[in-house]
Amino acid sequence: MSQSGVIDQQDGALSQSRPARRRLPFFGSYTDNRRLFLFCLGAPAVLYVLLVGVWPLAQGVWYSFFDYNLLKPNRTKFVGLDNYVDIFADRSARQAILNTFQFTIFSVAIQLVLGFGLALLLWRDSRFNRICLAFLLIPATITPLVVGLIYKALLGADYGLIGYFLANAGIGPRTGLMTDGSTAPWTLILIDCWEWTPLMALILLAGLKSLPSDVLEAGQADGATSLQRFTMLIVPLMLPSIFLALVLRTMDAFRVFDTVYVTTGGGPNDATNTLMLLAVKEGLQFFNVGYASAIGNVTILFIAIMASVLIFCVRRADVRINGR
Amino acid sequence: MIKVFPTSLLCRASLVGVGFAALMASTTLAQGKPLAGVTLTLASQNDQFGAVLAKLAPKFKEDTGADLRVEILSYGELLTKTTADFIGDTKGYDLVTMDIVWAGQYAENGYSVDLTDWVARDAAELELDDIYPVILESLGQYDGRYVAFPFAAYANVLAYRKDLFEAAELAVPATMEDFVADAKALTDASKNQYGFVANGQMGPAVAQDWMQYNSQLGGSILGADGKPALNSPENVHSLAVYKELFADTAPPGAIEYDWGGREESFRQGLVAMMQTWSVGAPGYSDPAISNVVGKVGIAPAPVAAGMAPDYGVGGWGMAINADITPAQQEAAWTFIKWLVSKPIHKEFNLEGAGSFMRKSQMTDPDLLAKFDFLPVIAKTYENGNGEYRPRIPQYPELQDLLGTAVNSVLAGAEEPQAALDEAQAEAEELF
Repeated sequence: MSQSGVIDQQDGALSQSRPARRRLPFFGSYTDNRRLFLFCLGAPAVLYVLLVGVWPLAQGVWYSFFDYNLLKPNRTKFVGLDNYVDIFADRSARQAILNTFQFTIFSVAIQLVLGFGLALLLWRDSRFNRICLAFLLIPATITPLVVGLIYKALLGADYGLIGYFLANAGIGPRTGLMTDGSTAPWTLILIDCWEWTPLMALILLAGLKSLPSDVLEAGQADGATSLQRFTMLIVPLMLPSIFLALVLRTMDAFRVFDTVYVTTGGGPNDATNTLMLLAVKEGLQFFNVGYASAIGNVTILFIAIMASVLIFCVRRADVRINGR
Repeated sequence: MIKVFPTSLLCRASLVGVGFAALMASTTLAQGKPLAGVTLTLASQNDQFGAVLAKLAPKFKEDTGADLRVEILSYGELLTKTTADFIGDTKGYDLVTMDIVWAGQYAENGYSVDLTDWVARDAAELELDDIYPVILESLGQYDGRYVAFPFAAYANVLAYRKDLFEAAELAVPATMEDFVADAKALTDASKNQYGFVANGQMGPAVAQDWMQYNSQLGGSILGADGKPALNSPENVHSLAVYKELFADTAPPGAIEYDWGGREESFRQGLVAMMQTWSVGAPGYSDPAISNVVGKVGIAPAPVAAGMAPDYGVGGWGMAINADITPAQQEAAWTFIKWLVSKPIHKEFNLEGAGSFMRKSQMTDPDLLAKFDFLPVIAKTYENGNGEYRPRIPQYPELQDLLGTAVNSVLAGAEEPQAALDEAQAEAEELF
């Protein structure tokens, strides 16, 4: 019996033992009152989401249909989808889209592989592993902007602790890893991996710790090899955790800004320009609100598409492997 | 009942007398401090002068009675926060430090109080004749109207290593051709010594430095008609020279240098020559941050052979927010007059603001004892050019286009002609 049923019965019993109360106007039955009460409980949260999430998003979509520059408010006019067309017509913006996808796909993929490896190494619960995990998480606690500044100092070809020796050893371009269009994007991916692989490992480790030990022991008893146990038991059972880690990191990586801003500024020659860098430049440097809103909306759209693709892939894998 | 207060006529008379005396005293004090009770909020760029402005705030209160709150912001923050304040009419700032290149936007959008009439009214008090004309025009005016009043002028100068030039028996370059030749002669990568350094980082850093060299090589961002002429033959030539300097004579990592990286490479002793704003010059003599103390000379920046002397001038004006009340505007104007007055501006510079702009400062014994390069700054201002970076409303977009084009040339991704052709096509759409 549902809890509400119990309360209804109690309410009925009480009403039998004493005279019925006169209901106040605008107040209905107990069920109505309960609904109203629950609505009042949820209303602040709903209001908050509407004010902080939905309203700005709707405004962003609305602005994106206008040629709206804060410095030239008198010239504001409706332009329909022109801002979106401009994004795909602009060479710099197209390059930023490609760079953002390249950065996201490669950094998240590398982090998944390395993170899974680390999680497996740290799976066994021991004091040593717990200490290792604590140290491993240090990079993830540093602000990305500071990480960018640290790596800029380390990799500089003229004074950098690493960059100077790399340049003299003939590894990478003489001008430094950040200064060449062929190495700068990969350097940024490596920096991102350094910072966020531990977080990926932590999420996957939490998944590993929650695996049912009886299933794994049964596999071992049936004579499954380590590889078989990994591919046929651990990975299928870990799919929800993998999905969570992938979605979180994909959304985060797609919005990359700080590290790029302080290391390369989007250069050389737009090789590391990203969508967020472009949006910030248009919005906060040129105050071109319409165009910046369109870039923001395109970013959200791409993130939504990537998340949908991930959900689709994980579901298909789940059906294929687990039959559910 | 106990009487707490005396009520006799004598006592009342005494109280009235004391009150009157207090009123007289406060009136006298108020006459000495006309802005008592006023608070001015100033948004300042995080240059050397920012900290000095904050340091001088108590003295301003002592002299006028007004409180001065100085908020020191990075360049990007200053632009964003103050523009948001102007657009939103939120009156967050009374005074704003205005970069020379923002003048067009300030004038076009009416962000600041037009100071033209006040400057004319108080010309004697301001001692305008003591301020270099190029500074009055380029740091404060737009189309002949004062959108701000100059308070921190910078001269583009050549900083060079005296010891390296003496060892190589070279004279300080007087022309850009000599500059290029000397930069090559002084470069020896095996000794980790380079002849030249400038900003190479994509964005404002590389755009602003190249515009300086471009001007000295005879190029110009705008044509005679005021429209962009980014791909003129002179500009293409100067970009080719800039690339040559980077390829042959700059530290390998210079392509990612902004102002900080550039200055650091010079202070660390990696580089023989660098064109820079005069505001950084005192830092070369500071042993806490410099490895080249006593080895640095400051000279006027060279120009192309046959060109009339033409030196870059930059810096900051102080603008008054047009949204604040007339009384606050008057108080803000009082602050500006106080700051640029001869004694206070001298103190401002002695404290390390590096913002020399008065003719009298160039021969002031106290200042000369501390800053021996003042005659070079004087010569620069006498032949100064504050327009080599176009002070027009479209400047931010032009700077961005050039920041990408010049960086792509330095990175070897494009040739100067192609990069500037592309930038020109986009620039034309802005006009």
